Amino acid sequence: MNSRLKKVLLGGAAALFLIGASLVQNSLNRDRDTLELTRVEPLENAPPVLAFTTVALGGFRGLISNILWIRAMELQDNDKFFEMAQLSDWITKLEPHYVQVWLVQAWNMAYNISVKFTDYSDRWRWVKRGIELLRDEGLRYNKNELLIYRELAWLFQHKMGANLDDANMLYKQEWANEMAGVFGKLSTPNLDELIHPVTEDQRARAALLRDKYKMDPAFMKEVNQRYGPLEWRLPEAHAIYWAALGLRIAADKPSKVKPDDLIVLRRVIYQDMQLSFQRGRLVANPFAKRFEFGPNLDIIPKTNDAYEQAAEEDKANHDHILRAYRNFLRDAVYFLYEYNRISDAQRWYRYMAQKFPTDHVIDGDLNSTVGNVSLDDYALSRIQEDISGTPRDRIEGVIEGLIANSYRSLAVDGEEEHAYGFKLLAKKVWESYSSRIGKSRESAISLRPFDDIDREIRSRVLDPKEGAAPEIRAILRSRLGLPSESAAAPGPAESAGTNAPAAGATPTAVPR
Amino acid sequence: MQPLLAIALLTWKAAFRFRLFLVMAVLLLLSVVGLPLLIKDDGTARGFTQILLTYTLGTISALLGLSTLWLSCGTLARDIEECQMQMVVVKPIARWQVWLGKWLGIVSLNAALLGLAGACVFALLQWRATHLPADQQAVLRNEVLVARGAARERNFDQDIEARTNESFRDWKEKHRASTKDEQTEVRKAIHEQVKATYQIVLPGYQSRPWEIQLGLARHYLHGQPLFLRVKFNTADENDTSTYQGAFRVGVAKKTRLSQFTVQSMAPNAFHEFQLPPDLFDEDGVLTITFANPNETALLFPLDEGVEVLYREGGFALNFIRGLGIILCWMALLATVGLASASFLSFPVAAFFALGLLTMVLSSGTMASAVEQGTVAGYNPEKGTSGSSVVDVVAIPTFRAALKVIHMAEDYSPIDSLSSGRSITWSQLAMAFVQIVLILSGGIGLFGIVIFTRREMATAQGIS
Repeated sequence: MNSRLKKVLLGGAAALFLIGASLVQNSLNRDRDTLELTRVEPLENAPPVLAFTTVALGGFRGLISNILWIRAMELQDNDKFFEMAQLSDWITKLEPHYVQVWLVQAWNMAYNISVKFTDYSDRWRWVKRGIELLRDEGLRYNKNELLIYRELAWLFQHKMGANLDDANMLYKQEWANEMAGVFGKLSTPNLDELIHPVTEDQRARAALLRDKYKMDPAFMKEVNQRYGPLEWRLPEAHAIYWAALGLRIAADKPSKVKPDDLIVLRRVIYQDMQLSFQRGRLVANPFAKRFEFGPNLDIIPKTNDAYEQAAEEDKANHDHILRAYRNFLRDAVYFLYEYNRISDAQRWYRYMAQKFPTDHVIDGDLNSTVGNVSLDDYALSRIQEDISGTPRDRIEGVIEGLIANSYRSLAVDGEEEHAYGFKLLAKKVWESYSSRIGKSRESAISLRPFDDIDREIRSRVLDPKEGAAPEIRAILRSRLGLPSESAAAPGPAESAGTNAPAAGATPTAVPR
Repeated sequence: MQPLLAIALLTWKAAFRFRLFLVMAVLLLLSVVGLPLLIKDDGTARGFTQILLTYTLGTISALLGLSTLWLSCGTLARDIEECQMQMVVVKPIARWQVWLGKWLGIVSLNAALLGLAGACVFALLQWRATHLPADQQAVLRNEVLVARGAARERNFDQDIEARTNESFRDWKEKHRASTKDEQTEVRKAIHEQVKATYQIVLPGYQSRPWEIQLGLARHYLHGQPLFLRVKFNTADENDTSTYQGAFRVGVAKKTRLSQFTVQSMAPNAFHEFQLPPDLFDEDGVLTITFANPNETALLFPLDEGVEVLYREGGFALNFIRGLGIILCWMALLATVGLASASFLSFPVAAFFALGLLTMVLSSGTMASAVEQGTVAGYNPEKGTSGSSVVDVVAIPTFRAALKVIHMAEDYSPIDSLSSGRSITWSQLAMAFVQIVLILSGGIGLFGIVIFTRREMATAQGIS
């Protein structure tokens, strides 16, 4: 066989093999996709360098990623964090579709690295970096991965929202400041103006929301309608947003979703709604020049729905959820009572009786079913419980409620003693809690000074715009020895939350 | 000397002829200018400067290192293969002069390139620093763009050893029938117990003082802030809690006092605090007392638990000394390359030299094998190792290799520069002695002897 013929034959064979391989490749790709062995679809939205790297390096990407990971761990062991952002970026970019890589790197930055710093602002930088890694990069390349939505929601809920980190208050404050740049200082943002911005300022804020925080105002509005009203300056609202977005993505691709992932996302939602109920109201404290938290009583019905839905869907945890649901209802009734929304409290108390007719409502008293205990007796027993041991946010809610009741009583003729009693009880709760927490947790979970809370409630009550009715304000000013409103200079009181009953609901409307 | 310089000059000319100098210069400049645009820092000026220093100096070292190996293998091996060397060696010049001249040429070329790249990095850092806000500049000048010396508590090894021996003698008296293995284990346990008494600070506001001698530095530290660097552990290695700490620096009625409380410190991490000036006594002793208000005992390691950092000099000289150590590494690589090319053809020499470099870079594996006493068969749960025939040869070889490697590896100027630690003249001198004189000298001598005895007239690798 001469050389030319040999070349032609070999060339032909090569062409045949290539065609055959391309045919088999399609079938192989289909199998890879069906069996979920590896990723088939190309990397979307990737910059050219990354697209080139992922294709050119092939299987070696994992090897390089491992080497970088080892270096990252070594540096972390030696407390050298300045390279961590770069290494995380490379590691995740080398394995952009490997979800666990994103989750671990984000977790590492937000949890492990952040606490290594003594300065709280340094910690906040790393918590933010963890969030940004998932939100800005992880979701960019894996927009259908529910675990990333879940992890992002968890960082908001647990790292920023919970009080396990001593710097949690700074995280919340910093986040509230950032969000105030988008929504202004209103507790309820005007989402319509961000969906259809008209002015230059609205356009700039809408762009900030979309480009920096990767949030869609139209979907925020949807979330607000379904689960809210939410306080968007607080982390819980954002946890709900990302979990809800994950659920929406899951709804678009039901065949690719694991039921457990859905359950986890729904759990985030009802847990955060519960947290929003307990402390989902942000109140500017003009005395301490910072934000404080109060309960958001307006989302009780929707939180109730979320619990019912979760209990229905999550059969494996049905009993746990029901227990949490019952506790939520008990809290709801008690908080409503504290804020003098007595008729609402009565309604929910009856609802609790329907749902849990045989459960006792007073700890340690097995006969205390809803049918056997009046609302007043239940509320009093809860105050006793609160004094003996509860988390900071609920305690502060209790104290606020008691002080509010004290001013309400003060405004009513013959109730001065009762007012004094409420104030005394509030002070006792404050003292009891303050003596209970150890020195080491003081910075993380201590209450603000009692006088600050008192001043804030009083300013809310006396606020001409959103406070108590004018005649009640006048009585209170007189009994508190304050000058009349016309004589008083404009005070520092700012807009309060929305937990008051509707104006004119009762002649002894609660002073807030 | 003249023949030596002539060969060095020829090596430079060859490098220019191959455009190596130009290519390297462009690559180095690109790495200095391009890297700052690509790297992601931690968001602080300090972090950016640290990562910039680490990555630019790391890239420069890697680029120069590889090209040095390549050039040193090529310049000798190819000269021999292409029969140019035969023309040189018949001239009135000794072979060792040829060899040394090439080495000198490569090292001086490296020095020029390193100087050029180093000057660019330095200028870039200074330029960036001047564009930062005043507070950030202060952080940089105090913590990164500085040469900081460190002082620690005196070494307690002898005291610990003495107390361990005493307790162990008592134990042995009471347990005369104990086996050798038991004795080894018990002695180890006693040693750890004694050591712990020097490190531990018990809970409930118990305190522990550290007396740190600043030495001669006390003469120029008046009026200057010091930096306290602490690190502690707890019983739980994976502890994610944070702890409070109450510090008092100085001695009442003897020196100025400074007291502060830190609310939230993570274990297993370094924490740095700036101290006011002039807290040490006339003898230069700085007393630091830590009180533990937590409910857990905290353990401050003796080697890095409490350290005082102080300004020892400026960044510029420190940077130059750092580059000096990098140049020592390059000199060693040039020696390895030339020595390989003295008896091997170009591709084999390059492969051999790169193989050696890989072995050095993977010294961690060797170190763990030596620590475990085996190359295989280690049981991490029991902490025991099996015996293998390979171990008999491999472990002593690894041990010897590690000793040699550590002579060069113990100096890490990039790490020191990025963390603002001082590289002293004595460290530079030691690096020169160990890396250039001893290591390069030994390998170079071997290369020169081989090259001198090599028969040039035989056919050189031509098939």
